[in-house]
Amino acid sequence: MGRYIIRRLLQMIPVVIGTTFLIYAMVFGLGDPAKGRCGERPCPPAYIAKFNAEYNLDKPLVVQYVLYLGKLLHGDLGTNFYGNQVSQELIARYPITIKLTIIAILFELVIGVAAGVLAGIRKNGFVDNLVLVSTLVVVSIPIFVIGALAQLVFGVKLGWFPVTASEGTIGQLILPGLVLGSLSVAYVARLTRTSLVENLRADYVRTARAKGLSRGRTVGVHTLRNSLIPVITYVGADVGALMGGAIVTERIFNVNGIGNFIYRSIYQHDGQSVVGAVTILVLVFLLVNLIVDILYGVLDPRIASD
Amino acid sequence: MAAVAGIGLAGLALAACGGGTSNNSGSNSTNASEVKIGACTPQSALYPGNTNEVCGGTVLDATTAKLVHYNVDTSEPENDIAQSITTSDNQHFDIKIKPDYKFSDGTTVKAENFVNAWNWAANCKNGQANSYFYTPIKGYADLQTDNGECKTAPKTDKMSGLNVKSDTEFTITTTEKVSNLPTRLGYIAFAPLPDSFFKNADARKKQEKIPVGAGPFKVVSNTTTDIVVQKNPYYAGPYKPHVDKVDFKIYTDPEAAYNDVLSNNLDFTGTMDPIPNDQLTNDQWKSDLADRWGQKDSSVFGYLNFSPIDKQLTGPSNLKLRQAISMSINRPLIIKQIFANSYSPATSWVSPVVEGYKAGACGENCTYNPAKAKQLYQESGGYNGTLTLTYNADGGHKAWCEAVASEVSQNLGIKVVAKPTPDFKTLLDSLDKKEISGMFRNGWVMDYPSIENYLAPIYGTGADSNYSGYSSEAFDHQLQVAAAADTGAPADAAYQKAEAILAKDFPTAPLWFQKTSYGWSDNVTNVKVDAFQQVDLSAIELKKS
Repeated sequence: MGRYIIRRLLQMIPVVIGTTFLIYAMVFGLGDPAKGRCGERPCPPAYIAKFNAEYNLDKPLVVQYVLYLGKLLHGDLGTNFYGNQVSQELIARYPITIKLTIIAILFELVIGVAAGVLAGIRKNGFVDNLVLVSTLVVVSIPIFVIGALAQLVFGVKLGWFPVTASEGTIGQLILPGLVLGSLSVAYVARLTRTSLVENLRADYVRTARAKGLSRGRTVGVHTLRNSLIPVITYVGADVGALMGGAIVTERIFNVNGIGNFIYRSIYQHDGQSVVGAVTILVLVFLLVNLIVDILYGVLDPRIASD
Repeated sequence: MAAVAGIGLAGLALAACGGGTSNNSGSNSTNASEVKIGACTPQSALYPGNTNEVCGGTVLDATTAKLVHYNVDTSEPENDIAQSITTSDNQHFDIKIKPDYKFSDGTTVKAENFVNAWNWAANCKNGQANSYFYTPIKGYADLQTDNGECKTAPKTDKMSGLNVKSDTEFTITTTEKVSNLPTRLGYIAFAPLPDSFFKNADARKKQEKIPVGAGPFKVVSNTTTDIVVQKNPYYAGPYKPHVDKVDFKIYTDPEAAYNDVLSNNLDFTGTMDPIPNDQLTNDQWKSDLADRWGQKDSSVFGYLNFSPIDKQLTGPSNLKLRQAISMSINRPLIIKQIFANSYSPATSWVSPVVEGYKAGACGENCTYNPAKAKQLYQESGGYNGTLTLTYNADGGHKAWCEAVASEVSQNLGIKVVAKPTPDFKTLLDSLDKKEISGMFRNGWVMDYPSIENYLAPIYGTGADSNYSGYSSEAFDHQLQVAAAADTGAPADAAYQKAEAILAKDFPTAPLWFQKTSYGWSDNVTNVKVDAFQQVDLSAIELKKS
């Protein structure tokens, strides 16, 4: 196991370098970021020269990138065009996005698994059809529509939830968390159902039932535990996706998290912030995937890691 | 948009109640006199010499006072820190300042605070974005080296045209006659800086986030999610605020800000975060907000430019083609269908918000007339190939550019295509490299309320925002005549003559002027917006319960 982890960690190095270089090249390689910062007026040459020197933009792209990487190794993500440390920005915003992600995951697990179990044990019944249809609806509506609709109906019209979550308190984050988790809830419900239906047909379930075990115990203890392996794997991988995918939700509800930060930075052409935030996102993604792969082996010993 | 820096904070009508705390009424506000304004993240350091966009401009405008202040309702300049600004020849100006103004750090505003601030910002080694504004001052050129690129340091760090006479008096000498210099002095770049700014680099670094100025407010905290300003205890000017604190809450989505105003969680939106277009459509926002919305003419001007490299479009020989194109555009229809009536059709090159505006200066060329357009087009000899209309895709111009393209195409019977560039900097880059032919979009936001600001920077020969490549001796001469004329009506009339030359040569096609649409919460009252699209933070107050 230890060797496996070390190998995986080493594999990350080229991935991180490759992805950050791609991002860096996309952000800084095209056009001159200093231009267009003075409205309809061309910027004074001295302004452009000073700006480019400050961010190494006057050097060839590869040199710029190596200089950036050098700073990155010291944990320095640079300073954005507004004079803020990118790392400080991220430190201020990660807790909020993590809170949002936890709400989404809890929602996914509780509602998704419950719906999946109810649908699975009464296959082809009313509940099953209801779950299938409603998840289909959720899956087919884009998240920005769900978000804007939820904000308008539950925030503005009914006033049940705060309209925006600028301060990032738990109370404010519930509605955006539900919206963020809504897509995954549908997948979790469907995954649970399918897996449960399959396992209920398995030999060991029939044996358990034949030996007189109650239905509740067969489903709740024996079948569900096995059925949840793919679900947990899915949810684990989803943590990384949710953190990056919060861009739309965080923007709609003005949550001051990572997603909103990335959106703002792209919109305002704040290259330093974009590269810094995405680099950290890549790292989070890779680490979460590693943890999921390791956990997979723990949950099901038949799947060996190495 | 053009250098949109700050201006216009307060209204005149605030004589009473010098900023006493109002009683609490807002169900959602925790502090008795705090208002929350929807805002956006400033683009760069908050130096008066550097800030040229509305996000930073609004904050900086609240925290600085200038010699001159623009009236919120009329945009007329009125003396603020200046006691008097006098000149006998439009070239030598004597400025006396009021002695009782103080910076938010408690130090007195002296004449040298102006002179030092301008010298610092004009010096090319400090690379300030607004350095352009000191160009008329004598000695500006000595602070620039290597054609402005500043690879070597300038020999001097002082403009010879600035002289401190005493703590309360200084003089400005300009290289040429500048009749509207007093008006220009209200622009953010002419704000004074405190002695502490010049102490060392660390002090300056600190002030790029927490600027120190002599304005009604001072910044207490500044992050990318919130900028909080409080009443400046030393403020001595006439534009005293009614509220103790203003929280600029930063939104990335204007729709979120709008919804928060709708639910009274936010007190104002519409300037830094525009009202979303789908709310403006069918006047949805007016019924949603009931009696808490407003609309005001702004200085924003949109126009169509003809590429200087396109030999089929430019020059006197193609005048009829340009007129035909302009006449084939139905401005009121596009404004109604695409801008939800938040624009008004342009009939001149100068915005109605400035003194000297002359309605109808463009004449019949700005009036929709498909029959005449077709006739002029046939007389012009036509256009070979596809006519392109280039726009930057990051500015929300797609819909109207496509509408204009389709109207020109239909009415003249030529192929017209609206062509996007990814963003504004790419558009500017391509213009610099002379890669764009056909037509392209342009916009202008005034820096200071003067008719000159709509003419000289855009059409003067070699002027830096002259993207049409227009060059006319008669026009340039008329600008000089106007700059030497007496301020007020004589200068305005001279500038109108210059505009008449534009109408004859038709280098660009005026399209429309933008209005600012804004909304406020149930918690506040006396909400005003100026022509610079800034909310008046001195006038706004909490409702009494």
